[in-house]
Amino acid sequence: MFEYLIFFFFAAVAVIFALVVILHRNPVVGALSLVVSFFALAVMYVLLDAPFMAALQIIVYSGAIMVLFLFVIMLLNLQHEKEPSTRPVQQWLGYLTSSAFAISLVYYLGKYAVMSGALPVPFIADARAIGRRMFEAYIFPFEAVSILLLAAIVGALMLTGRSEQRENTSGEVIR
Amino acid sequence: MAFDTTDVILSLVKIAIVLAMMLQVTPIMAWVERRGSALMQDRPGPNRVGPFGLFQAFADALKFILKEDIIPARAHKWLYTLAPAIGLLPALTTIAVVPWGRPFLLAEREVGGRILFEGGRWFVPVVADVSVGILVVFALASFSVYGITTAGWASNNKYSLFGGIRASAQMISYELALTLAAVSVLLATGSLKLTDVVWHQTGTFVLFDTLRLPAWNVLSPSMWLSFIVFVVAAFAETNRLPFDFAEADAELVAGYHTEYSSMKFALFFMAEYMAMASMSAVIATLYLGGWDIPWYNEPPTFLGFLLSALFFVAKVGFLLFFFVWIRWTIPRLKYDILMRLGWKVFLPMAFVNILLVAGFIAMRWI
Repeated sequence: MFEYLIFFFFAAVAVIFALVVILHRNPVVGALSLVVSFFALAVMYVLLDAPFMAALQIIVYSGAIMVLFLFVIMLLNLQHEKEPSTRPVQQWLGYLTSSAFAISLVYYLGKYAVMSGALPVPFIADARAIGRRMFEAYIFPFEAVSILLLAAIVGALMLTGRSEQRENTSGEVIR
Repeated sequence: MAFDTTDVILSLVKIAIVLAMMLQVTPIMAWVERRGSALMQDRPGPNRVGPFGLFQAFADALKFILKEDIIPARAHKWLYTLAPAIGLLPALTTIAVVPWGRPFLLAEREVGGRILFEGGRWFVPVVADVSVGILVVFALASFSVYGITTAGWASNNKYSLFGGIRASAQMISYELALTLAAVSVLLATGSLKLTDVVWHQTGTFVLFDTLRLPAWNVLSPSMWLSFIVFVVAAFAETNRLPFDFAEADAELVAGYHTEYSSMKFALFFMAEYMAMASMSAVIATLYLGGWDIPWYNEPPTFLGFLLSALFFVAKVGFLLFFFVWIRWTIPRLKYDILMRLGWKVFLPMAFVNILLVAGFIAMRWI
């Protein structure tokens, strides 16, 4: 009973703030609402007996990625709250794809989702079990992802690597 | 879900104790900061209100309450009001996962015809001993940046905005070093629980067949490097000098809280000291043996609990004084030096320490 109360409260929070993200004109308010929404999702993980996932959800998404988003939004200083979208085509395309996605999501959820309480396999979600799985059964995808990330880092360094030449003239790295 | 009444009451007692302690931190630390800075600069400091100026904090609190609460005309009203609360929340809640004393056995006793603590019950002095303890600390630490950045942006002031942007860039950079430094400790402990981390540090070990030292992580030859990284990153995470770029009085007026007045400013003030206290508690737990008393085996009784809790408070107190000490000793770094230090010095140091600890474990030295 108590768990249901918590679930429905945080489910409502997650949905409402997710709506604020897409409906609010102000990008900073949108970003902060997304943080709240992520936080509510983390509560869902705790209710599902997966505190490790909850902690990672907050550390990675709310703690790192959204801080970066906020940083970029503030740095760009977006103040065009009332500006109409430049191309109506994009807007309609967005509506179309997102509604298609929503419809298919509802369809497949209705078709495949497990609505009964018990899960078919014993649910393991502690750090040790996840680590073992990742480094034993899924070592190849894990390494593939790390190579992908390494490529992304090298790419970012290439794009911003101009400071090397400037360093020689002023004796100090300028970013 | 069934509730055990005794459990609920014990939890409430723990929460009350921890909250009471945390709320004391700000007035005490404000006094220590002022008198400490005065001591280091060879001047008397505030000494008019009460003995040694001890009641200065009350005068300050009264002043904060009576000052006019100003919201700038072009500020974002909602976020401007919300920001101090967002800042205070993580500072106040981190302490929940930190153990602050040796667990002791509550003996069965009869009070007014009811049997309390049937068959004896362990009192574990930590509010929430969750299985992901240290991750909760990092999750909340990463949340603390939102209060500052939101305040900086919502004030609609260039200086404030600079403070907020700097804070977010700095925190992202140093959070990595902080987390990776703690990984060394977790490798040695083999658990994310902070109670396990402390238990692992109880007892003694013999260094080079000569010295019998307490088994604290900071004294272990494999982990002092990560201790240094962790402490420096903790300074950056709590925005203390030499890393107070969000405030930077000399450059940004007062940084992210330039526009704040009255109790809203007081909340930021409280959040800063509470974050310091939480960080000190985490440092003490991870590296200084938590509540462990060196060369002494605490008995599982109330006395043992009391002694260990006092030792824990003493360690946190020393670290808090260390924060003040550093603030009035080392000047602020330049911003690019700060970034270079974070990414090119402390991050590799943390990685090296992880390899070191892994090597020690592989050699079965720890």
